[in-house]
Amino acid sequence: MADLNALKEAVIKGDRAGATKLTKELLAAGTPPKAVLDEGLVAGMAVVGARFKKNEVFVPEVLIAARAMKEAMTILEPVLVKAGIKPAHTAIIGTVQGDLHDIGKNLVAMMWKGANFGVVDLGTNVSPQRFVDAAQEHKASIVGLSSLLTTTMPAMKQAVVALRAANVTSKILIGGAPVTQAFAQEIGADGYAPDAASAVDVAKKLVTT
Amino acid sequence: MMEHRDHDRVPRQDGYWPETIARWEGEGLRGGEQTVRTMLRRDFAGLCWSWPRPFPGRSELLEEDEQTRVIIDGFGQKTREWKSRSGTPEHLGWECDSPRKWREVFRPALLGTGLHVSVEESRKGFAEARRRGAWCHFSGVEGFEATRKMLGDEMSLMAMAEDPQWIRDVSAVHTDVLLRDFNALWDAGVHPDGVWIYGDMAFNHATVCSPAMYRDLIWPDHKRLADWAHQHGCKFIYHTDGRIHAVLDLYVEAGFDCLQPLEAKAGMDVRELCPAYGDRLAMFGNIDMTVAGTNDREKVEHEVRSKLAAGMATKAYAYHSDHSVPPTVSWETYQWIVELLDRYGNYA
Repeated sequence: MADLNALKEAVIKGDRAGATKLTKELLAAGTPPKAVLDEGLVAGMAVVGARFKKNEVFVPEVLIAARAMKEAMTILEPVLVKAGIKPAHTAIIGTVQGDLHDIGKNLVAMMWKGANFGVVDLGTNVSPQRFVDAAQEHKASIVGLSSLLTTTMPAMKQAVVALRAANVTSKILIGGAPVTQAFAQEIGADGYAPDAASAVDVAKKLVTT
Repeated sequence: MMEHRDHDRVPRQDGYWPETIARWEGEGLRGGEQTVRTMLRRDFAGLCWSWPRPFPGRSELLEEDEQTRVIIDGFGQKTREWKSRSGTPEHLGWECDSPRKWREVFRPALLGTGLHVSVEESRKGFAEARRRGAWCHFSGVEGFEATRKMLGDEMSLMAMAEDPQWIRDVSAVHTDVLLRDFNALWDAGVHPDGVWIYGDMAFNHATVCSPAMYRDLIWPDHKRLADWAHQHGCKFIYHTDGRIHAVLDLYVEAGFDCLQPLEAKAGMDVRELCPAYGDRLAMFGNIDMTVAGTNDREKVEHEVRSKLAAGMATKAYAYHSDHSVPPTVSWETYQWIVELLDRYGNYA
């Protein structure tokens, strides 16, 4: 009989067929959908994230794990919706205005989904006002701002200023190649993440403070 | 410098964003980038730029707005790019979306292309570069970058884990076509001093894939390129962004002679690298543009002086920014950097 630990292992290995099959079996056996999510899928991605942070696994392994979870979620999500179970937190993410870079932002979005954040991806070249509108519309707990270029770092500051001016209460997390903790403090962001796995840890910490 | 032997001064090269030159022109630069190059006394001369693509010349406009346009390019890659500024494009999709599409369409198309370089242009550039005594090199892009361009990041990275033979084949075919270009130039009498290959294999905190996966899938083609260089009496320079400590030994094993640009913000630091690897690898770059962008003379002096000292101790160091010079750096600061190179970059 399928168990949650097997599901967790399937996610860690990036075994999408296995993750989907086990999710179906667990649900059919009456396992609570929240347990399937938290103790199977999210637990698996948490292991992958921790290993990624320690350079024990790399982006290819993270991607196939995230895909295994995503495919299992197509089975699980309708059951969660039916049971009225929603992600505890919604995160808005986007690359700031003037910057079309998307790889780092996509990776963070994937890791956040893996940690069971509801993620609204605004894409690239996002204006400060779009961040404000989306944060308000989705009652976001977190707003993630990404930038690749030193020249678009000022746009991060503009987004932070706009969010604060609009009294958005979401925590603001920044990241991207040229960004530092010092810069986060300088522009009044709540947090900084040096990589996608850290973005999960920092986001979790921010939403509980 | 790449022989690790005595020479008169630290060689120099750099790259600039178009916006940087525009800023500097507003701050008094006359004569554009050519003036900057002359002032820096650049020592390197590229003779070609080979980035083989299966559909050369293709650039189909799909849509556009005031600031951006969406195109499908010669790699079958759909991107949104800025109309009037530089910067990384947004990646929207790839036509080569399966091993079968690769085998049946892209692979034969790539192999069926002609040269991706101009023999005549390279000959002219070679003659001119030799006249001014520059260190001449072929430039090109390696196999990993080619897989990302044709398959996209997500698919190529997942395939590295799940379908490694596909990635090996893309990289190998790309390398064959690249070497076809280099051989054509060589046969036409264009005989450079080096081969400078571009490929970004790392992010800020680590390599994109594990060292073992790199060794298995991409490294054999890197070694082929380095071997080609050495068989033709050339040195081999490898460009990669990001944090690459974990693969430095593999670079040495492949026969790389020099690494560039050594991104400081990713934790690369010649003050640590030169004592550890300076006897086997020449270091090229690493001057931190986030420091330069502070436009603080003292900070910039410390950055340039301390890194020159570390590099010059191995006699195997060349100046370059740690990627390219962004428009956060003022014209006054860049002139200060050149002055510091003049002041501290001489061996005599």
